Amino acid sequence: MAEGRTGERKAGATREAPVVLEMRNVTKAFGSVRANDDVSITLRRGEILGLLGENGAGKSTLMKILYGLYSPDSGSVFVDGEEARIRDPKDAVSHGIGMVHQHFTLIPPLTVAENIVLGAEPRKGTSLDLARAIEDTEELSERYGLRVDPRARVTDLSVGQQQRVEILKALYRDARILILDEPTAVLTPQETEDLFSVLGELVADGLSIILITHKLGELIGVADRITIIRDGKVVDTVDASGTDEGELARLMVGRDVLLRVEKGASEVGGTRLSAESLVVRSATGSKAVDGVSLEVRAGEILGVAGVDGNGQTELAEALAGVRPAEEGRVGLDGQDVTKLGAEARQHLGLAYVPEDRGTKGLVQDFALYENNALKTYDEPPFSRWGWIFPRAMRRAAATALRDYDVRPPDPEARAGSLSGGNQQKAILARELTGDPGVIIAAQPTRGVDVGAIEFIHGRLLEQRDQGKAILLISLELEEVRSLSDRIIVLYAGRIVGEVGPEATDEELGLLMAGRGTEQTA
Amino acid sequence: MGEIFGAPGELLASTIRFATPLVLAALGGMFSERSGVVNIGLEGLMLISAFAGVVGASLSGNAFVGLGFALAAGLAFALIHALMCVTFEADQIISGTAINLLALGGTAFLLVIIFGTGGTSPRVEGFEELPIPLLSDIPVIGPALFSQSLLVYLMYLLVPTTYFVLFRTPFGLRLRATGEVPEAVDTAGVSVTRMRYYGVALSGVLAGLGGVYLSMGLLSAFTENMTGGRGFIALAALIFGRWNPIGAAGAALLFGFAQAVTIQAPQDLIPQEFLQMLPYILTIIVLAGFGGRAIAPAAIGKPYRKE
Amino acid sequence: MSEDRTPEERRARGSALRRILVNAGGPLVFPLFAILISFLIGAVIVLATGHNPLAAYVALLQGAVGSPEAIGRTLLGATPLIFTGLAVAVAFRAGLFNIGGEGQLFIGAITAAWLGVSLGFLGPLSVVLVLLACVFTGFLWGAIPGFLKARFGAHEVITTIMLNYIGINLAYYFALKPLRTEGLVPGTDTIDIAARIPFIGLGLGRANYGLIIALLAAVVAYLLLWRTRRGFQIRAVGLSPGAAHYAGMSIGVNTVLALAIGGAFAALGGGVEVLGVYGKMTVPFVTNLGYNGIGVALLGRNHPVGVVLGALLFGGLYSGAQEMQFATDVPLQLANVLLAVILLLVTATKLVELVLGKRARALAGTHLDEGLGRQ
Repeated sequence: MAEGRTGERKAGATREAPVVLEMRNVTKAFGSVRANDDVSITLRRGEILGLLGENGAGKSTLMKILYGLYSPDSGSVFVDGEEARIRDPKDAVSHGIGMVHQHFTLIPPLTVAENIVLGAEPRKGTSLDLARAIEDTEELSERYGLRVDPRARVTDLSVGQQQRVEILKALYRDARILILDEPTAVLTPQETEDLFSVLGELVADGLSIILITHKLGELIGVADRITIIRDGKVVDTVDASGTDEGELARLMVGRDVLLRVEKGASEVGGTRLSAESLVVRSATGSKAVDGVSLEVRAGEILGVAGVDGNGQTELAEALAGVRPAEEGRVGLDGQDVTKLGAEARQHLGLAYVPEDRGTKGLVQDFALYENNALKTYDEPPFSRWGWIFPRAMRRAAATALRDYDVRPPDPEARAGSLSGGNQQKAILARELTGDPGVIIAAQPTRGVDVGAIEFIHGRLLEQRDQGKAILLISLELEEVRSLSDRIIVLYAGRIVGEVGPEATDEELGLLMAGRGTEQTA
Repeated sequence: MGEIFGAPGELLASTIRFATPLVLAALGGMFSERSGVVNIGLEGLMLISAFAGVVGASLSGNAFVGLGFALAAGLAFALIHALMCVTFEADQIISGTAINLLALGGTAFLLVIIFGTGGTSPRVEGFEELPIPLLSDIPVIGPALFSQSLLVYLMYLLVPTTYFVLFRTPFGLRLRATGEVPEAVDTAGVSVTRMRYYGVALSGVLAGLGGVYLSMGLLSAFTENMTGGRGFIALAALIFGRWNPIGAAGAALLFGFAQAVTIQAPQDLIPQEFLQMLPYILTIIVLAGFGGRAIAPAAIGKPYRKE
Repeated sequence: MSEDRTPEERRARGSALRRILVNAGGPLVFPLFAILISFLIGAVIVLATGHNPLAAYVALLQGAVGSPEAIGRTLLGATPLIFTGLAVAVAFRAGLFNIGGEGQLFIGAITAAWLGVSLGFLGPLSVVLVLLACVFTGFLWGAIPGFLKARFGAHEVITTIMLNYIGINLAYYFALKPLRTEGLVPGTDTIDIAARIPFIGLGLGRANYGLIIALLAAVVAYLLLWRTRRGFQIRAVGLSPGAAHYAGMSIGVNTVLALAIGGAFAALGGGVEVLGVYGKMTVPFVTNLGYNGIGVALLGRNHPVGVVLGALLFGGLYSGAQEMQFATDVPLQLANVLLAVILLLVTATKLVELVLGKRARALAGTHLDEGLGRQ
């Protein structure tokens, strides 16, 4: 789809075009994590610069610094050659920088024109000159091909149209540098094409654009240059015309191996967890999981790789019974559990370590012993005839916490007082103590320190060796590779490929970006 | 029908009189809630203003001075609510409840201190009926609509004015945006804090007008707890009217009518208590989604914290 | 079990002890702070009105606990507030705002006024039956806003406020029409003395054994919340609806039950007021017990023990204010003003943060501050 665009693009940047934006040696750390590590980028007038990287690579952070939402620990920004102090979005706007966020800040009950002029309203005496607002909107809209009805309410617009409003907001404030954060994440292929032709119009008018994305296929067609960021550092900047998807995938995804877990072979048995043509809708109503079928067998770890937001969350929830599936079936040890809820599946031996430990895995304000009994509080020995026995819970928790290296192993400690790694271990303690047969682990080591990661990986492998079936969903390719026996890749709610752990970065990167090495449907 | 309800003109006049404080308080509540701050303290705001008006009028002998006192008191109490909710991020429901209790206790307390006697204040110069020439001569509706207190005429003007302000001015646009998506307002460079203070302040002034009408328009003295729940009926009218000035005014009129009927209708037709329940039952029905969901401003009730 | 503990475990145990102390002491500091500031403001008000604050407060104290009659008045005032405070506190534990204590209390009161008369011939047995009936009707009344929230998402703050007026009007209707007495005072018939809750005597005035029932109710509330399965669910839902949902708990069912149980407590309070104090429902009946229940619950940090203490404080203030007015001419409504200021301060936890820092604020808050934002 993207290949055809190269020739159609209007004249944009050339090597000689002046530099309109430079970010030099920007560093930003959140706690111990360096989101941006001495990053420098340049943007020329009339060019489309692609900022490519995986989730958490640091692209969004960098742009938020540019837009004044974060302040850098060190580094500077130069606009049109002069140093710019950007302390908040207002400063950014006054320097001609506009940003279209991944999550729109539109006001649904208001009209398009009202949303666009908010904060910079045209006036007629004391009243709001709505007519002018509409006129101005239409004018901008015509000029750049951003078709949208200024009188329409934002709630009635499609996502693609809403995005146009966001772009118009920036243009209304005379943006000359436009940042778009993952703009195609929410668009259909047709809308994506429309967006790219709009970008072409903008660039022909002299604007300069930064496009943040992980979809390397699109970038080749529309960008002039591409800067690849990985783990907070700039890996390279290449000309779009001189590279191909394979190289981009390698640059984006490859990394030094930090951890390698010793994994022996295990005896693989029958299917313990299965999904058949599963269709699951997300909270917003769209199809997050679109016909997924999979099997996890006893003694194996099936890894699910993919970029965040391609249906992993909903898949895990549907398999665990927390979110109902619209279509399809879920099977547990041969039994059809599609109609059963989370509690029932848990009684049948399903353990679920959710990706959001903060708000879904633990009750932060409960003590550890209460959290440990969160799913078993209604069974003996913790409960009888409607009563619960905290003393029994505390005893059980003390043992579980010690077994799973939770620090401090204090059953009375408030869950929220523990570090991320220890919270995760506490969840693991809870889920694995009951000797489950099937384990769903989603992002089990996100935001967790290295020691805890090692521990958690060790325990998961231990369970596998004991003949349990484990579904591992992770955004960390390395984790998926080192733990899994088989790997499937999820893209746009579908499984686009299955590989072994020995697959190359390039293979995996391409699959994750939706470009199958073999043509999958 | 006339025998049962008295002259229809009388019923209309009564309706207007009962509805006025409700309309005013509802409009006030609208500005607060549209900016994102729940205001269940309308009851207290009305009460304190009713009292302050009487104090001012009795001290100076002039009704307009009383009006000034009333508006100042309403504004002051509203600013306490704003300070609590916006700056100190207190829970908005609890703050509103505290305002109500403070007004209740405070007015009873000051009643004794200032006037030496509990229960009712002495009579004061109020805003009596002021017939508008020509208009008040229209048969039937003339006297009912145009032979009312000055404050009622103010109410007539305020309904379209608040509509204009809310929907046709930049201020109104920003206010509405603040109550829906404060992040959008913040990124557009407008202060969420300031807009919310304005919204709450306006609720104090308008509810104050409603309160002073009670003590100096409808009656001419202050009685303990004279608002008697009107602030909550106004809140109900606001919700029933979908946070819209015309809708809120219309709902308030409806509820005022219900109150007028309870006075005029004979007891055995419908028990008075059931008529009094009507506004509340209607509001619950609306909240349960019948007749279209009543959706409050999206960001209401939560303090705004920057990331 | 006498193995040596590892240093880690010893530390964990020691810190557990410290933690219990902080958990009990820390939360007390903030309410005490609010009370103190409120009294200071009250002193300023008293001074401004030309009276002596010290004399006023001494009289206040005397009127609260200075004599058997005073203590009796305090207990009398505290009793219904324990019930309405529990009504608010239990609902808060589920993350819900129960502002409907007024209406729920009235529903219980009219139930008691009615059944107390019709079942009065059973003597003391009727007390038990009537109170059970109050629990039942209160439970149903409280379930209404719970259901509206669970099924339609109707915010319980508004629905409970609306139901207050509906409930009160309903009760008054019954008191003035079908159940009306022939006596001079408008209201219901007086219940036979044998079918009422007896006074404690001992010079405590009208203080009655309803207080014991109230204390028992507090115990029941504690057991319910911390020793039953349902209570575990209610607390989990209130503190983290997401985690509760993931653990298979039903948010909807717990919403309905929490508000229903709250209604039951408040209605029980109304029944106790009728059976213990008035012997009937007069028109008008008591006021503000429901709203003051909110203050009691917050001051008591939504814990049954705190509710009892808070109710005693409120009761003492009201009782003392009467003596204060008698002795120093300071109007007794000052008590209402003080309580309102306490309520305001108790919720301004950010004020604590500004003065003492974030951790102090975390200790001061009830952890439900965040959860209450959930619509």
